[in-house]
Amino acid sequence: MLTKKLRIGIVCPYGWDTPGGVQNHVRDLAEFLMSAGHDVSVLAPAIDDAHLPAYVVNAGKPISIPYNGAVARILFGPIAFARVRQWIAAGDFDILHLHEPAIPSISLLACWAAEGAMVGTFHAAAKHQKVIYAIGPILEPAIEKLSARIAVSEAARLTLTNHLETDAVVIPNGIYAKRYANGEPQEKWSGNTIGFIGRFEEPRKGLQVLLAALPIIARFAPDVRVLVAGPGDPKEVEESIDPQLRHRFEFLGRISEKEKADFMSSVTLYVAPNTGGESFGIILAEALASGACVVASDIPAFDSLLGGGEFGALFESENPSDLAKVVIELLRDSDKRAGLSGKGREHAQIFDWDVVAEQIFSIYEMALVGAQEITLSSENRPWNRLLSRDGDKK
Amino acid sequence: MKTTLAVVLVLLTVLWYLSFLATRLDRLHHRVETSWANLDGLLQRRAAIALEIARSQSCDPASSLLLTSAAYQAREASVQERSSAEMALSGALGLLIIDGQIHAHDSEQSLFQELKLLSAKIRIAIAIHTDAVSSTQMVRRKSAIRFFRLAGTAPLPVTYEFEFDAL
Repeated sequence: MLTKKLRIGIVCPYGWDTPGGVQNHVRDLAEFLMSAGHDVSVLAPAIDDAHLPAYVVNAGKPISIPYNGAVARILFGPIAFARVRQWIAAGDFDILHLHEPAIPSISLLACWAAEGAMVGTFHAAAKHQKVIYAIGPILEPAIEKLSARIAVSEAARLTLTNHLETDAVVIPNGIYAKRYANGEPQEKWSGNTIGFIGRFEEPRKGLQVLLAALPIIARFAPDVRVLVAGPGDPKEVEESIDPQLRHRFEFLGRISEKEKADFMSSVTLYVAPNTGGESFGIILAEALASGACVVASDIPAFDSLLGGGEFGALFESENPSDLAKVVIELLRDSDKRAGLSGKGREHAQIFDWDVVAEQIFSIYEMALVGAQEITLSSENRPWNRLLSRDGDKK
Repeated sequence: MKTTLAVVLVLLTVLWYLSFLATRLDRLHHRVETSWANLDGLLQRRAAIALEIARSQSCDPASSLLLTSAAYQAREASVQERSSAEMALSGALGLLIIDGQIHAHDSEQSLFQELKLLSAKIRIAIAIHTDAVSSTQMVRRKSAIRFFRLAGTAPLPVTYEFEFDAL
């Protein structure tokens, strides 16, 4: 059954043009499935058609609205619904894979419109319980059409069981482990360095926690340097740093995937002080794969990814002095660093696409048992069936 | 006139809602059946592999006997006894695997490998099936469905308590 070529339709709810975890996951999954010989079509909102890969179908311009504590670029409405139906009708799919079907975007619309083997992946770990209670009854009939559900982390699964009363299989997000394992250590980034990657202007990424911890760290490790990579304007952050410590900071700006791998293999410690809003923490999986020694805040997603501290050091979230303590201890103890990064590198193999895609594919197989091809659910309504027999049908 | 119109409108809405509920329930029943068919197929395959292991050289007579009887029981069990029979088979396999993997010949390594892959699939299949069963039970508890007998003659799906640690 594994050798059978499938036509797989994947729906991405967020704007394709904006970087994000779900988009990356969908892109990598689609490319992996295609390299395995399957036919893949991705439906996603996008601002313009020009830069879309051949396998992505534009569903329309996304709308930016605040949702769940962040600005989400999503898409809904009658025109989007018509596009989704068109895509489903024209696609001739064996299976649909819907990402985040619980948020008001095209995945939910597709779930509503289609009938057949459907798999849903839930990424978010939501906090706003009251909202979910209110929308639960609306979501329920749609969500229960999914033949199988995947949650990317234990936190996402708990959100699902608590709020929508359905269970899910946990399959982590995938990374190309080999790319990171092949990162080449760079002279300019080595030494007593602490690495940070992310949109550092966002408070939930937690750079301010690292800044607050630095004076203590610098006292014990005078030659320490902090390397910050990621998009954003460093001016404001630089001004908030103590002038005496300013020269210890280096802002690298946005870096490429290759540079990212090199960066993570070079730095002595990789620090992820995120204060929340993280459901999986793909960046940590990548850091582990590159053999970096990871220090992360103990938010649930990181705690479970790092095996409760087995594959990387944890510190109490939003507590700079605890971060400083952990960092100093690790900077002084190279054996401990080597131990953690060795274990981490080994552990990261479970996030490799070879492993993850295999698991996702076995879920597809189960969803496909006894299922028919994907059709529009409206076609199956008795009166429509009756009408369509007379000829004219859209 | 106005009242008639209102009554007709309400009636239509109620009818639409009932048809919606019936479709929903039908879909859920279908999900329960297919997920069960899937799980059943996987369990049958596991029983077949268990028998093959029982007949292999690396299996001593006592565990061979245990495994064979457990596998046959699992295969022939009625719906009500299925869960406990499968659990017994899981237990028998579990006993064996600890020293089985140490003593196994090369030819049987592939058998154990297959069993391991199968166990992972079974675990997922169980999760999917239990999920389908519990959502169906939840929807069937709705008073509208009970009152209008929308479930028809379909039996209420049964939750199985499966042991998870097959390997």
